[in-house]
Amino acid sequence: MRKKGAQRERILHLLEEEGGVTEDAVRRISAETGVPEADIWGTGLFYTLISKPGKRVRVCDGLSCRIKGADELFERLAEQGKECERVSCLGQCDRAPATLDENLEQVCYGGVERGVMPDDPSLPMNLGGPRVDSYASLEKAKEIGSDAVIAEIEAAGLQGRGGAAFPAHIKWKGVRGQAETERYVICNADEAEPGTFKDREIILRQPHLLLEGLAIAAHAVGAKNVAIYIRGEFTSERRMIEKAIEEAGDKISDLDWKIYNGHGAYICGEETALIESMEGKRGMPRLKPPYPTEYGFRGKPTLMHNVETAACVPAIVERGGEWFKGLGRSEPGTKLYCVSGHVNRPGVYELPLGVTLDELVEVAGGYDGTPVAFSPGGPSSGFLPISARDVPLDFKSLANAGSMLGSAGLVVLNDTVDMVMATKWQLDFFERESCGQCAPCRIGTRYLRRQVDSFLADGDPDSLEFAGDVGWEMEEGSICGLGMVAAKPLESAMKHFPEVFEERSSE
Amino acid sequence: MSSNRFDIEINGKACSAEKGETVFEVAAREGINIPTLCHDTRLEPAGACRVCLVEVEGQRRLEPGCAWKVSEGMKITTESDRIERHRKVLYGLYLADHELDSEGLPVETGNGNQLRELAMKTEPLALHPVEAPRAGRPADENPYIRFEPDLCILCARCTRYCDEVEAVNAITLANRGSQTTIATAGMRGLLDTTCELCGGCIDTCPTGALVEKKSPDPLPADARKVRTTCNFCGVGCQLDLHVVGTNGTSRVAKVTSPPPGETVNDGNLCIKGRFAYDFIHHEDRITEPLIRGEDGELHPATWEEAIAAAAEGLGKVKEKYGADALGFVSSSRCTGEENYLMQKISRAVYGTNNIHQCSAT
Repeated sequence: MRKKGAQRERILHLLEEEGGVTEDAVRRISAETGVPEADIWGTGLFYTLISKPGKRVRVCDGLSCRIKGADELFERLAEQGKECERVSCLGQCDRAPATLDENLEQVCYGGVERGVMPDDPSLPMNLGGPRVDSYASLEKAKEIGSDAVIAEIEAAGLQGRGGAAFPAHIKWKGVRGQAETERYVICNADEAEPGTFKDREIILRQPHLLLEGLAIAAHAVGAKNVAIYIRGEFTSERRMIEKAIEEAGDKISDLDWKIYNGHGAYICGEETALIESMEGKRGMPRLKPPYPTEYGFRGKPTLMHNVETAACVPAIVERGGEWFKGLGRSEPGTKLYCVSGHVNRPGVYELPLGVTLDELVEVAGGYDGTPVAFSPGGPSSGFLPISARDVPLDFKSLANAGSMLGSAGLVVLNDTVDMVMATKWQLDFFERESCGQCAPCRIGTRYLRRQVDSFLADGDPDSLEFAGDVGWEMEEGSICGLGMVAAKPLESAMKHFPEVFEERSSE
Repeated sequence: MSSNRFDIEINGKACSAEKGETVFEVAAREGINIPTLCHDTRLEPAGACRVCLVEVEGQRRLEPGCAWKVSEGMKITTESDRIERHRKVLYGLYLADHELDSEGLPVETGNGNQLRELAMKTEPLALHPVEAPRAGRPADENPYIRFEPDLCILCARCTRYCDEVEAVNAITLANRGSQTTIATAGMRGLLDTTCELCGGCIDTCPTGALVEKKSPDPLPADARKVRTTCNFCGVGCQLDLHVVGTNGTSRVAKVTSPPPGETVNDGNLCIKGRFAYDFIHHEDRITEPLIRGEDGELHPATWEEAIAAAAEGLGKVKEKYGADALGFVSSSRCTGEENYLMQKISRAVYGTNNIHQCSAT
């Protein structure tokens, strides 16, 4: 049942204030809100940041951190007597191995220089440049009106930067055309695809571009409320957004701004799971249709965009859709590429959409060692062999190559990495982050991880006999995108690196 | 109005449908079987078990028949090689996460097991067990309801039933991924929650993960159902008594509701109707009228004798102390008609307004 209610929306925040799920906390919150105890208990236990009370150090489990010594770091910290926990990617891949201290503040053990493009005013987001906070594009958008703004977005060919590449203007028109006038704009800042840390850099370096883009969108679709859902591990990023809203003051105060914390669940990056989470529920994706443009937050029309998508909007309004489109090579616009792993200067680089891996890595200081594989868009994109280095890094070309650009969190692996082990790490991630709602994903992610574990233990190829069938079913039968792609790491590794699996079998 | 009725095609057959209906509903009316585990007509479709996936022309992915709304001219396929493969692998995954018997089939339980039936129709892929770390509540001391985590498929029918139908919210999905389980707040026993022990969760459970503690095992093959009306209150819920044994030794071994949609209680029962049937065979149960004699003991009598004795006694009180010395209390187990007759006896026969019904306080 789609339950709504202002009280229900408060429970995750209250659990966070209580320091996590305990019987006493649940009883108090139930008394205060009238939400049944069981619902609070079950909802709280969905989210890793609040499911276990108490404070501890969190060590990243992402691929980039694993290959940069996260396992050793974990042991070292544990030996120092610190209570430690392995967690899914913290979005700090350029500073691998990444950790959060007991108060969710980032602690850097990697000591790597943070790579970013040098100042170039011709770039739409120009993360290396001075902070842009004039809100001139917002003024212009108000002058030219909604139709003209949406026409520019359409001309720009702006595709959703969260990973799905859905044309932005279709969503804008969809929300604007609804009969219901209570509408919402939501910014998806739940950046959690392993290998991805571009939204983090936008928030830290150009927070006003984000706010301005969201404000333009809100005015264009007729929404009064803007919500930013930011992953709970992004503590300093949240502070930056709060500060930016304060700094912007009157320029955006005609809208109602609200920040929602994530509580430790990768799946909440899926738009309907994110909405469920905002409504104080377990972050389990909804069946679609209806889509959020029609039935979103609180059942109202909702426009949801990734941070980067929104941050592209001011430049498009200022300089025109055609200009933005022309910046791309094989697809429209520039793109923030995150690159980490075996490259010399990991970071976020704004380049024309459709550059090749070699071009990207050149900007990032070159390869570290002899590259053998890369993952173009997090574990969801699987692995590609280095022979695919000439494939344009855009949505369509990578899809044709059996992979995907996704959130453009590229991880490069050199010949020191055991591809079977890397596969297992990626499968670990999906098993841990599956919401558990539908059987293909809940059981399939665990099945595949266990079979690869078994193969790693004894090299018996029979362990992987049915992996293809299970992967096929996960893609066909899962409710949401997580389950659909969760078999990709194994499927692609077996396809592109059969010799690695054969070697292990014959040992 | 005509635009609300249109034809759709299921497996090439034209079927009349109405706007707002789901593929599952239209198919069911047409006698086309779409298997499902997580669907219950009393609940909002969840689309979670994925068993009912069908092909919808124009859709890239398989879609859940239980939730997919029909539209004019829609073409549905419920049987194809693709769907067959989907079922084989999906059932294989379910079996890898389920307690199996010596033949490798999902175990039979006192509450049936629909997964077993599906697995017998379509040979599932033989996958290694996944050994999901799903917590149960073994210390739960409630007398009626038992949860077997190894038989649970996480379809959430029980939690949705508890929420959407009963509005009791005693149970919930908890944890995430393969650790997901059916929990209570604090994993407490049901007696320490808002649970009313209606047992509706057992009724809706498709795989016997929830069973009656009093009747956990399958009944013998000769068990038969006897339809009756519950006499615990005046609502008139219909019960199916599951009777085992032959005449003379036959006993009620379990009580269930007729299926949803058939009777006034729509598949639901309360704690009394479902579980409080032990009195039927209790040795202290009074099965005939008794009159206390001069000797102070109770003696069997006919109904005529008993009613006459009661009338005489009440008449004597009225004669000696007046009508208002009498008071009449009827039972909440009486129907409205019986309560009406009771006040008629009170007012018209004996002439007092001292009439009460026990559930009126």
